[in-house]
Amino acid sequence: MQKNVVIAGYVRSPFHFAKKGSLARVRPDEIAAQVVRGLVEKIGINTADIEDLILGCAFPEGEQGLNMARIVTFLAKLPISVAGTTVNRFCGSSMQSIHMAAGAIQMNAGDAFICAGVESMSRMPMGGYNPMPHPGLAADYEQAYMSMGVTAENLADKYNISRQRQEELTVISHQRANDARHSGRLTDEIIPIVHGDIIIGSDGCIREGTTAAALADLKPVFRVDGSVTAATSSPLTDGASATLVTSEEYAKATGLPILARIKSIAVAGCAPEIMGIGPVNATIKALSRAGLSLADIDIIELNEAFAAQALSCVDELGVDMEKTNIDGGALALGHPLGATGARITGKAAALLQREGKQFALSAQCIGGGQGIATILEAV
Amino acid sequence: MTIQHTVIKKIAVIGSGVMGAQIAAHFANAGVPTLLLDMVPKDAGDRNILASGAIAKMLKGSPKAFVHNAAAKRVTPGNLEDDFDKLKDVDWIVEAIIEDPDIKSNLYKKIDSVRKDTAIVSSNTSTIPLSRLVEGLSYSFRQKFLVAHFFNPPRYMRLLELVVGPDTKPEVLSTIEQFADHRLGKGVVHCYDRPGFVANRIGIFWMQSGYAAALASDITIEEADAVMSRPVGIPKTGLFGLFDLIGIDLHPKIDASMASLLPAKDDYHSQRCDLSLINQLINEGYTGRKGKGGFYRLNRSGGGKVMEAKNLKTGDYAPVQKVDLESLKAVKTEGLSGLLNHPDRGGQFAWRVLSNTLAYAASLVPEVADDIVAIDRAMTFGYAWKAGPFALIDQIGVVDFVSKMKAEGRPVSNFLTLAAKVGSFYRTVDGNRQYLDVTGEYQNIPREAGVLLLEDIKLKSDPIISNQSASLWDIGDGVTCFEVHTKVNALNMDVMDLINQSINLILKNHKAMVIYNEASNFSVGADINAFVALIEQKSWPEARSMLAKGQSTFLALKRSSFPVVAAPFGMALGGGCEIVLYANAIQAHVESYLGLVEVGVGLIPGWGGCTAMLERYSVNKISPKGPIPIINAAFETISMAKVSGSAFDAKDIGFLRPDDGITFNRDRLLADAKARALELAENYEIPEVAEITLPGPTGRSILSTTVRDFKARGLATDYDVVVCDALADVLSGGQAGDVTTPLSEEDLLALELKHFVGLMQNQGTLDRIQHMLKTGKPLRN
Repeated sequence: MQKNVVIAGYVRSPFHFAKKGSLARVRPDEIAAQVVRGLVEKIGINTADIEDLILGCAFPEGEQGLNMARIVTFLAKLPISVAGTTVNRFCGSSMQSIHMAAGAIQMNAGDAFICAGVESMSRMPMGGYNPMPHPGLAADYEQAYMSMGVTAENLADKYNISRQRQEELTVISHQRANDARHSGRLTDEIIPIVHGDIIIGSDGCIREGTTAAALADLKPVFRVDGSVTAATSSPLTDGASATLVTSEEYAKATGLPILARIKSIAVAGCAPEIMGIGPVNATIKALSRAGLSLADIDIIELNEAFAAQALSCVDELGVDMEKTNIDGGALALGHPLGATGARITGKAAALLQREGKQFALSAQCIGGGQGIATILEAV
Repeated sequence: MTIQHTVIKKIAVIGSGVMGAQIAAHFANAGVPTLLLDMVPKDAGDRNILASGAIAKMLKGSPKAFVHNAAAKRVTPGNLEDDFDKLKDVDWIVEAIIEDPDIKSNLYKKIDSVRKDTAIVSSNTSTIPLSRLVEGLSYSFRQKFLVAHFFNPPRYMRLLELVVGPDTKPEVLSTIEQFADHRLGKGVVHCYDRPGFVANRIGIFWMQSGYAAALASDITIEEADAVMSRPVGIPKTGLFGLFDLIGIDLHPKIDASMASLLPAKDDYHSQRCDLSLINQLINEGYTGRKGKGGFYRLNRSGGGKVMEAKNLKTGDYAPVQKVDLESLKAVKTEGLSGLLNHPDRGGQFAWRVLSNTLAYAASLVPEVADDIVAIDRAMTFGYAWKAGPFALIDQIGVVDFVSKMKAEGRPVSNFLTLAAKVGSFYRTVDGNRQYLDVTGEYQNIPREAGVLLLEDIKLKSDPIISNQSASLWDIGDGVTCFEVHTKVNALNMDVMDLINQSINLILKNHKAMVIYNEASNFSVGADINAFVALIEQKSWPEARSMLAKGQSTFLALKRSSFPVVAAPFGMALGGGCEIVLYANAIQAHVESYLGLVEVGVGLIPGWGGCTAMLERYSVNKISPKGPIPIINAAFETISMAKVSGSAFDAKDIGFLRPDDGITFNRDRLLADAKARALELAENYEIPEVAEITLPGPTGRSILSTTVRDFKARGLATDYDVVVCDALADVLSGGQAGDVTTPLSEEDLLALELKHFVGLMQNQGTLDRIQHMLKTGKPLRN
């Protein structure tokens, strides 16, 4: 008999600007370990029951290398019996970790998984220390290695996303994140990070009082005649997130607080030069597998890698912005690559419960031309 | 009797104005922790705001006060209320506050109550007599007190005037002198306690005399500056440009101060004139470059940028006119005398101002300093004159100078008459440079202990070998000095020939080679005209052999069985940088501006610059491991044509190795380089042939992607992409590069050669070179 899979917990670290933010000097394995430890303590799960720590990371080398997931099990003081694997699907890494746990549970290969993600964009350069593209492919099919900013410009061109619309979305994202922060709606999900004598307890990327007028003065950063600016791109960010994914029967038997049931999952490839459109096909596939239409979805977490990218998906899918990213998106909160998938999926699950709704979707784009999506339902 | 020197380990500077802050910065440059104190402004939130604000301003300002941003950490900001007690720990307290004797005196009394007994106190005053400053102060304070007067900007201007009082202990003077000479790189001039000391006494006279002479004649300020600058060996700011640079508002104050302090018979009084035009400028906010303009201003009205100059007669601004004076043409054919004897307004102006100033300087020995050497040093180090007043009189000819003065019925001082009798102020006898003292005797020009100059060696000996582009000198103890002496010290095939000949000779007869010269820059690179000729004749085989010869010559230098030490200073660019990179060690002057700037002319380094940078970055232990960080670093340095802002910066970029040395005093560079060479010559081992592991085509892909991104972002041009692709191929190791197979230096040099000559055959490169030759600026094609 196929088991149901549920999300029974979601937390994250505060998100901070890379290089200049409060987490810049904290190692990524340390951030991830504190978040994982925070999750198990908050939920009160019997850690001996955990099968595996599946940790997403976009650039798993250096401090993020050496199968960081296993290192994090030690740092988080999980029992020695808990295994650890590091997963890479670039920005989709930690949503992928949730999908892998779901598959394993349904395969009857364990009942409880920690599905986490982390990225220190301060301590690991974008692309890693030694990016070594296949020279033949790089010559014949350069979009395979195209920089993300250029793909956002390509989308802005292809889908006619004006600079003004990109800036409006940025302002909304900051306003919503700022409101959520000030009304305490982000407090529950944040595990403060302790670094020496310092405790980093709140987000660092959200800008209070961002206005469209202030953004209009910025210069394009990826193409001299382009429309994408630093403000309409998600910032380089440090942070980690973690979810607890279990079988529904285990959660119920041990009294875990279920946030949502995973209804369907999907990944889909797309042209790499417009990688930001990836969520569209992934979402269509996941909806079809769930037997739902977008109109049925009450809560949407659509990652904002770039405003132009998110708006292209909004236009293509016909997304209602009123139910999308209601506590702000990555433009305001930040986008620590490997951590984002577990953040938006955990957040969608938590919002289902908080808002008392039935269906939620989390979806995001992935460098190289992919999308990933998850559909959740209230239990 | 041995003199007890205070070791200067910690310094405090009081007053964080432009001078105080920059003096503190230069102490920090020298590696000394320095406390910078100022007042607490009313209602200040940050009580150290004046000092910390000054430090922040220096980090942004230009020219840079710090040799390296890290030096700024050695300056600790503080304030006179909370931190005064900290003065008890410092070895030297430098006062650089407002020029008011009573305020200074009160501060000294407070300092005297906290300073430790051995602490030295100095003032940076430029106008107040030392005797006035120490009135009413304790004997023990007066023993430790002197005037140490820096020039603006202190990092760059070499002059330090030292003035002692009757009670100042000799060891206090020698402590500061030694520190200033060795650690700060200053040229010290001992002055007597007279108004304006030496440099400003003459400099202010020159400026006032020039201003008065210009007002009294038809000369325009553009003409006055054209005449009173390069043609007489004075910086191109000239006279009115210097007013603007210093700040016009200072002049009436300085003029009044000099007039009140100088004795009635002093010739300064006769140069004074109506300053109403200057006062009008000040009232309108035209205080010079720090204000909205001065004698010159940049008119931005109507969206344009027009440089305008003040008309001294009408008081109006008008666009700067190109200067066309016959007297300026006469300089080119007949030298300085051609200018001074020319009857047009340029010649008359030059003669009037220079004769006034030089005669005045001659009247000041020994009133302001013991000898003419001190006075000439003061003007060359403090006002950046190429020659001081007495060297200038020698250029004109002292006999001609005196007879022209007499013919005009002007008084001639005894000292000038004496000099005219013996023929010159300076002479060379038996390889010794001598100066005329006030008694009419010639004395050898003394050198500070340990100073070694090629200039002196040349007087006493002939080169070991020489051709028209370079010479090899014996500088003693088995060490040789290789000197390039072409125009702007460009490197050509003659230079390569002489290096190869020198190597053979040194192998037989000597221990080491130092590469060094005493021009204004070490070398601005390969002789670019030679490349133009080859391109125009499409002589590609010759181009290849020219490249190959440079490469094999530099490799021979590196791999010879004796050590080669390069001693760069000023600019060492392109080929001039490559020869430095191929030396076995570097002893650099602190003001060394190194760079591989070939991309500016559409080329890549071809005499081993690419290879040398890869080798340097591959042994760098700080950067991340793997083949990509190495080529990324080299690509960044070369594709952006990075030029170091100092020798410390050159270490950061990687031109200097971590153990290469840095010398602050330009006159000690050769001696330090020689000492380094001798040290290396003990048990010298030839460096092993370098092998570098490079990624090959995958690395080229990543660098090419980077440059295309830059192009998309508007930061690189079409032809930048062509040049950078060639550079990317060299730096990634070409087709042969692979992570499993190290490449030799020779492999990489062959790649450099291939791509260099390939780029030469491209019109884009020729366009860049021709544009550079015509305008001096890079073409963005």
